[in-house]
Amino acid sequence: MPGRRILITGIASYLGTELARILEADPDVDLVVGLDTREPRARLDRTERIDADIRDPEIARLIPPTGVDTIVHNQIVRRPGPGMSTRRAHDVNVIGSLELLAACERTTTLRTIVVRGSAGIYGAEPAAPQFVTEEMTQLYPLRTRFQRDVAEIENLFGTFARRHPAVACTMLRYQHSIGPTVNTELTQYLSLPVVPTYFGFDPRIQVIHERDALDALVAAVRNPVRGAVNVAGPGTIGLTRMVRLAGRPSLPIPSPLFGNASAIGQRLGLVDFSPDFSRLLRYGRAVDITRLREEVGFYPRHTSGGAVDDYVASRQAAAAA
Amino acid sequence: MSAREQREPAPLGPIIEFLRVLRTRLDGGDGLAASFGGAAMALPRDARESLDTAVRRLGGRYTEDDWGFDEEFAEAVLPFLEFMYDRWWRVHSEGVGRVPAHGRVLLVANHAGIMPWDATMMGVAVMREHPLPRPPRFLVLDWAFELPYVSVLMRKVGGVPASPFNAMRLLEQDELVAVFPEGVKGAGKSFRDRYRVQRFGRGGFVEIALRTGAPIVPVAVVGSEEIHPKIAESRLLARLTGAPYFPITPTFPLLGPLGVVPLPSRWRIEFCEPLDLSSFGPEAAADRAAVLEISDMVRGVIQRKVYENLVKRRRAFG
Repeated sequence: MPGRRILITGIASYLGTELARILEADPDVDLVVGLDTREPRARLDRTERIDADIRDPEIARLIPPTGVDTIVHNQIVRRPGPGMSTRRAHDVNVIGSLELLAACERTTTLRTIVVRGSAGIYGAEPAAPQFVTEEMTQLYPLRTRFQRDVAEIENLFGTFARRHPAVACTMLRYQHSIGPTVNTELTQYLSLPVVPTYFGFDPRIQVIHERDALDALVAAVRNPVRGAVNVAGPGTIGLTRMVRLAGRPSLPIPSPLFGNASAIGQRLGLVDFSPDFSRLLRYGRAVDITRLREEVGFYPRHTSGGAVDDYVASRQAAAAA
Repeated sequence: MSAREQREPAPLGPIIEFLRVLRTRLDGGDGLAASFGGAAMALPRDARESLDTAVRRLGGRYTEDDWGFDEEFAEAVLPFLEFMYDRWWRVHSEGVGRVPAHGRVLLVANHAGIMPWDATMMGVAVMREHPLPRPPRFLVLDWAFELPYVSVLMRKVGGVPASPFNAMRLLEQDELVAVFPEGVKGAGKSFRDRYRVQRFGRGGFVEIALRTGAPIVPVAVVGSEEIHPKIAESRLLARLTGAPYFPITPTFPLLGPLGVVPLPSRWRIEFCEPLDLSSFGPEAAADRAAVLEISDMVRGVIQRKVYENLVKRRRAFG
């Protein structure tokens, strides 16, 4: 039986590079292809790279000849980095997915799509169920740009999966990841010298350890299921407890002033909170991971609290060294 | 009115001693943390322990469960709630022993008052008078979770937003769960309608009990209706604050924050015989007629017990 041929988009990210590294080492995998305009974070031995932008219609010509049976869509911009406008992030997310799907249409060998999406689709709501399950995306309106982007991406891939019953499409909904290596909105937040919080709010936050985030992606590639799957560390951790564990002083700001304060902070280049993250800091969010455990068969090794502990310990070790 | 007045005046001696030792140790060139540690030895044991606890909690070393319930915090506020239970409302509770000691149980009670005092008093009754106490989780009106501090307080003592998904999940984890099916209709009814148990929504609590196989324990609470007698309500203020309704009581908003202090009525809480629905099976949850019938029956039991306890209580105040 021939081995699997896998394409990863956004291979220059931490997860993209690490996933390629694991798949390279797997004897059952014949070919790993990375699609990105940037170089991978580390040297990869047998990964081939397609140097193209995901928004470029050209990829519909470049991808089919590789004969891949699996595509891991790992290029969804969670938060526009420095020098990237929200407009461009939206472009990468939606137009990028559209172009990728156009390429999928022509790749007749395709059997599996794994999308690394976001639990941000649920938003952060004060009265939401304490553990949202995969079918609860319709409970509240989509409030932010990013929420609408994720919903649109899921919709695009969902439609594709319905039209191509032979292709199993997994949509992974990731909570924020945390760990020694990754640089996310959450780790940047916890690295601020003074951490702004909402006065009188202490939301339940759920995170996933970077290693578990990677292993969950590997598990989904090996055992694809159809539909959405929440990915998070079990349990939750209160924001206050998380900030205290990180050893940061917090600055409680009354909620009517929070928007103005963060706008000023943004202008001064101190902080840059997305609207999604601001809502998360106020209301929090936690997801149910029964599907991840029972259908994908993946058990995260770190609880949400354990992941934060590991992050704090590694940062203290780095500071001591 | 708080628990503080009941206690003796705070002993200042040990605190002065603490500061004195702290200063000499700081002068001696010790680090701040070491000085604190040394100075703490000058305090009596109780104060030392609570100082340790405070320092530990400030370092983030405390636990909250998946729901955000903070057992240590709940224990810390228990003395205040016990004061409200014993002295403020002189609660008389009956039949606490009927609440099953293990496994999933759904407490269903009538609801009154703007804040969930009835839920907390039921909690104190179980914690103090049950042979095998366990902290009940209770479903709180969603709006509370948009409010600063109230939201944190609620979840730390065991409250969760009123959603059937939360109730189901808690029961599946074999918790003791309290619900108030009257919802806003119960809490927002006017003083004139006191102790008339309102419609029990669409009977969602029965569906949940049937699905999870949890026994229902009806609970009648008498006294909660007098703590905030609502004589009118303001549509305008409700809209401005985003509240589901804005009550006007003899003391609120006239006395400002003081108006939030509940009146010291006399309370009775009766826990009734548990209703075992497991013989119906989970499929019965889809049977509209059965659900509504059981819901009505539970409401009837609670209404009857409320009237009985009203008679037994005799006077609301004094």
